[in-house]
Amino acid sequence: MHRRSFVRLLAAAGWAKAAASLDVAAKQENQAPLPGTSRNLPGIPPLRVVSTYAPAAAPGMPGPYPGRVVSVKSDKCVDTATGRANDEVVREMMARGMRTLTGAGTTPDAWRRFFEPSDVVGIKVNCGGYPFCVSAYEIVADVVRQLTGIGVPVSRIYVYERFQSQLDEVDYAPHLPQGVQIVAAERANRNVDNGGYDPATYLEADLFGEEDTRSNMMRLVSRSLTKIINIPNMKDHGATGVTGCLKNIAYGSFSNVARTHQRGKSHTYSVVGTLAAVEPLRSRTVLQIMDGLRGVWHGGPFARTTRYVFYPRQILFGTDPVAIDRLLLDVIEEQRRAHGAISIWDRSPGSLKIDDTRARDADPNVNIIIREPGHVEYASTLGLGVYDRGRIKVQDITV
Amino acid sequence: MTALLLVVSLPCVYWTQGIETRATLEAAAIKRLCVAPERADSWRAAGFTVTPLSAAELASREALPSPGIAPRAGLASPTRSPWIVASGWRFTRHPGAKYVYDVPAGKAALAAAEAVAYGADAVLRIVPADVGILGGMLAFLEALPAVDLPTVSDVAIVDDGSSIAGEVMNLLARRNLLFQVVQAPSPRFPVNIRIGTPEYPREEAADPSGFALKIRGQLTDEQRTLRVYGSEVVICRLTADAGRARLHLVNYGGREIEGLRVRLRGIYGDGEAHVAGAGRLALQEQVVAAGATEFSVPRIATYAVIDLGTSR
Repeated sequence: MHRRSFVRLLAAAGWAKAAASLDVAAKQENQAPLPGTSRNLPGIPPLRVVSTYAPAAAPGMPGPYPGRVVSVKSDKCVDTATGRANDEVVREMMARGMRTLTGAGTTPDAWRRFFEPSDVVGIKVNCGGYPFCVSAYEIVADVVRQLTGIGVPVSRIYVYERFQSQLDEVDYAPHLPQGVQIVAAERANRNVDNGGYDPATYLEADLFGEEDTRSNMMRLVSRSLTKIINIPNMKDHGATGVTGCLKNIAYGSFSNVARTHQRGKSHTYSVVGTLAAVEPLRSRTVLQIMDGLRGVWHGGPFARTTRYVFYPRQILFGTDPVAIDRLLLDVIEEQRRAHGAISIWDRSPGSLKIDDTRARDADPNVNIIIREPGHVEYASTLGLGVYDRGRIKVQDITV
Repeated sequence: MTALLLVVSLPCVYWTQGIETRATLEAAAIKRLCVAPERADSWRAAGFTVTPLSAAELASREALPSPGIAPRAGLASPTRSPWIVASGWRFTRHPGAKYVYDVPAGKAALAAAEAVAYGADAVLRIVPADVGILGGMLAFLEALPAVDLPTVSDVAIVDDGSSIAGEVMNLLARRNLLFQVVQAPSPRFPVNIRIGTPEYPREEAADPSGFALKIRGQLTDEQRTLRVYGSEVVICRLTADAGRARLHLVNYGGREIEGLRVRLRGIYGDGEAHVAGAGRLALQEQVVAAGATEFSVPRIATYAVIDLGTSR
């Protein structure tokens, strides 16, 4: 079988087992929402989570290092004239970052703090910013190299996204060893492939009167993976303000999420964090590696032009997605300020041209949706991490 | 539930071409035709089952729009808020009426499925290129097990004959809000719509989409007999009694859908899907919980019928 294959092909064998658990799921449907969800807060729609999965004793998010971020920078990691990354420098950044985060004496030991050979490891990449800002080949390849180095078989390593079309564009395969699985839940963003999603694990919410009120977790995540590594980019996002750890893992692991933002309004404030907190995604996402080799300060999550691309030339390491995204808010805001663009926090009607993507692409002072960068702070109320900048400890390393 | 008894009848293909096209029809296994009266004998002699249909009779039938997705700039997008052209609401409103489709290439099978899903008396005018695919659909429809069950409805609408009432029915159908047309409000329904009353002002109904959303809110999603997840372009018709159900699913989107999830209030036993183009398939991940039955349909291109058995 070609190693790029839909998750649906992996799912068939799991049906019988899964069906037995679905009754349990239904029994839990009317239980209370996740702690901290804002069912009764004004302006926030009721969100109902259905999952049979219990949290791990120590959930992966925020993990063992809440409020802690390691930032590894190198002026040599990317040639800003060509956009090409320096593989050797990136490897060194990765090694230093992981050792510093964990305090391990060697790089393999650092990885052993999170993974063991029996794990089935998912690598959640971000392909939405193709061609100029996606999870870097060099970072993804080094993650695979480190995993195999500590004994995880390549056949139990999955690079995943929601859409096969995006994975095909980015094409990680030539950069990875044979046998690594590269999988998606849907062929493309056309809302016709549901087989790659788990019907028993979902968020139910009526946000805009849409008929399909469920967002289901990928089967790969709920039924196959034991650990997940999240590799987002440093990007602006028209609906969420920024798209970092939380948005990448949440909206990249569930179906039917584009419904949360339309006609100028975004419900991402509460939905991003709520999805990230759904079990087993929360417990299994054990490592955050934010790829800041390249970034996008406007027009995100897309990067169809270099006009809004910039080069932070850094990689952030941690287990706390909120803390990393809190730093990302400042990174994107600073870039926008440097370019004279409106703040990601701007909510003024004068900046809003609803659904006018052409105007948004042409002018960084145009919003097509009122952004919700507050989604990062909201996620902290769900216990996903530390938002208070004063409580976030950043260790800076230069390579 | 209404006691409407379904008599499954296949739509008739109105064929204007000469007897020399016989082989084309036979290759498609189409054996029943509607033709102009003067051609009836020759087609009968060729072994076809023929219904003579004069031009006047054809013109007297209500013309239906071609089913599918229509682009509506500013109002709908193909993936998020698709604009569906469907006639199920017309069949529900006037079940005894006679209809005619005049469909462009690629739409014949969908039109046939739509008509059968609602038990409508419909004639199909098609382009010759669609003969093969229509023949396959008609063969599938003919082979469906006969099941006569009452139609299930959640809301009632008093039909004042107005175009606004029709458009409200259209939008109710598109949201899979199962409705029955009534002469007067009935206590059997939790929601009775009479347009022009203080609760349902005519001005409000002039925005049928918003109006349908209001009805959905009044009924509540929890109380809806039918929910569909995984697509916004599948319209359903449900028939059921205490222990059995038949659900018709018509996919207007033009793309095969995998793993459509359906929730039906009520407890049903194991079911199976009859899927046009794929035959009989087992339902996937069927569960019963909280007074409802849920299952996934493996795939649906244009049309599928789900039969659910006696409760366990």
